[in-house]
Amino acid sequence: MSEHPVVPGSAVGIIPNPMSGRDIRRVVAQASVFPNTEKTSMVLRIIRAVGAIGVERVLLSTDTFGIAAGILREIRRMQAAPAEARVRLPEIDFLTLPNPTGTASDTTGFAQVMARRCAAAVVLLGGDGTMRAAAPGLGDTPMLALSTGTNNAFPIMMEATVAGMALGLIATGRVPARTARAKTLHVDLIRPDGTHRHEIALVDVCVNTVRDVGSRAIWKTDTLRELYCTFAEPHAIGLSSIPGRILPTGRTAPTGVAVQFGGPAARTVLAPIAPGLLEPVGLQRCEAIAPGVARQVRLDSGTVALDGERELEFGPGDRVTVTLQIDGPRVIDVPATLADEHISSSEELISSIAEEIR
Amino acid sequence: MTQTLSSLGADAPDASVLNETQLLDVYRTMRSIRAFEDRVHDEFATGDIPGFVHLYAGEEASATGVCAHLDPDRDTIASTHRGHGHCIAKGVDIKPMMAEIFGKSTGSCRGKGGSMHIADLSKGMLGANGIVGGGPPLICGTALAAKIKGDGGVGVAFFGDGASNQGTTLEAMNLASVWNLPAIFVAENNGYAEATSSTWSVAADNIADRAAGFGMPGVIVDGFDFFAVYEAAGEAIKRARQGGGPTLLEVKFTRYYGHFEGDQQKYRGPNEVANIKESQDCLKRFRARVVETGRLTDAQLDQVDAQVATLIDEAVAEAKAAPVPSPEDLLTDVYVKY
Repeated sequence: MSEHPVVPGSAVGIIPNPMSGRDIRRVVAQASVFPNTEKTSMVLRIIRAVGAIGVERVLLSTDTFGIAAGILREIRRMQAAPAEARVRLPEIDFLTLPNPTGTASDTTGFAQVMARRCAAAVVLLGGDGTMRAAAPGLGDTPMLALSTGTNNAFPIMMEATVAGMALGLIATGRVPARTARAKTLHVDLIRPDGTHRHEIALVDVCVNTVRDVGSRAIWKTDTLRELYCTFAEPHAIGLSSIPGRILPTGRTAPTGVAVQFGGPAARTVLAPIAPGLLEPVGLQRCEAIAPGVARQVRLDSGTVALDGERELEFGPGDRVTVTLQIDGPRVIDVPATLADEHISSSEELISSIAEEIR
Repeated sequence: MTQTLSSLGADAPDASVLNETQLLDVYRTMRSIRAFEDRVHDEFATGDIPGFVHLYAGEEASATGVCAHLDPDRDTIASTHRGHGHCIAKGVDIKPMMAEIFGKSTGSCRGKGGSMHIADLSKGMLGANGIVGGGPPLICGTALAAKIKGDGGVGVAFFGDGASNQGTTLEAMNLASVWNLPAIFVAENNGYAEATSSTWSVAADNIADRAAGFGMPGVIVDGFDFFAVYEAAGEAIKRARQGGGPTLLEVKFTRYYGHFEGDQQKYRGPNEVANIKESQDCLKRFRARVVETGRLTDAQLDQVDAQVATLIDEAVAEAKAAPVPSPEDLLTDVYVKY
């Protein structure tokens, strides 16, 4: 079959996080180093896939870590190729932010711009932290979460070309986006002087005794005190694997899970906390939690890790609550979306055969 | 006023349990580097300092966070042309350092090295180094020595984004990996090799990405956050001491001054440094964090600031008053008899 026709007005967003995949888990565990050159290559594969499917425009985030620059260089090379070797490419808008910070807030900013510019869907390349940063910016625009590394619970590991195909089919209206609303955990930290910090997590919130945000990752299981998860899969890597091995809870289940640690353990599980790092973890309680109920953190000082990264430091006098909500981003189910395409093309095939018979 | 910079050494605890004295020591080290560099900046402008100086202000959390884990007797560091911060963090005495920069006979190298050659082997400081990419191969030597002696020592090479493109650095990382040496490569990426942006000159941009090619862990750390550097360096050093081999640690931050004193810095944005100083400064962030969490008080930190200011005043006054090397010193400490 030849390439699909270009659909005017169709657009998708692509945000590769240039900073993901380099944290301390490379030293304390055996997490992979995921080079930016590979992220560049993944973006190019997505661009080629959506181009072949007929997407008119790609909105692409830019960065100062070589990914956008690498894409620009490669696109120019492709465009300069002799006609017979040229592949169809969509228009590419390299987006810039007025005040880039080089931090996670750039991811939020790019997601916001893409949603505003009517991208049919946005693909994020990164880890759990990347997805968490993008979520508030996306609004109702569907997210395709692609993992760049082996250390994540939320994004999926999938060949970028295939993910790009699903994205293209959705953007060109050939199939409706098959999405599921992600759950979130809202963390509210109220200081004695009344100042308030609010953060969300997509996978887990971990209250632990480490007092500094430091290098962010969390891997020492004896520091864990409370863990809240939006979902807990038995095949997950990271903290959510702990309840995942006791009380498996799906991404679309109406509840989440809470775990209490410390004190005499009622049960011990061997959990893959990080790549290559299996730890026996003793826990006191593990129970399902309902959405909309604020649960107060009991530990009096430490840090709160969001999706595996220490983010908030708190001390005595600070009030910290965690609330499960079903208000996260719409996440694209790639296998289901591609299965729909298979069905619709089968229908096309059947009707064309029917026509021939007639 | 004496200098009380202590490296915590192999027993350095987790960042969370650094006690009051240790936190104050860490802060004193960072403040000393800042005050030292700010003062050298002023003194250089008066024309009293011979030669070139390259200042480390803004980068204090890196040297301090790494060197806090090192022992003076068995652990070594190799530094760069921007070496004052590494010297101070490794425990080299501040007064002889200042005298050295003024070219005086009371200096660390008796006034014959100057800013770019301050060394103190008794402290495991192999030297600042005028050769870009000169440090990493030296560290393979000391790390090999530590491995043969079996004393658990490690070697740490600090180098910049410019040096990350030098063959010597890449060869050293390869050697450290194939020999499984207790070597830590700290890529201090301040964004510019002299006036050339690292986003232009470093292929793949993240220096840490190169670790994969040498089969070693590569980690990026926020260089404005002492606790982040301290924790990551601690894990890498512990791993090396236990025979786990080398690590590449990329510390991202910026320098507050030019490549050298007198650099007009036309290659930087108009408010680039001011914005970072305001929002990211490692000393400000350290203070905010330890005060907010009740681990130290502003008064304690202010007292350190005052003590450091006095020490630097004394160091400059004594350096200025000290004699320059005499003609008879010309050939001393130049040749070694075997």
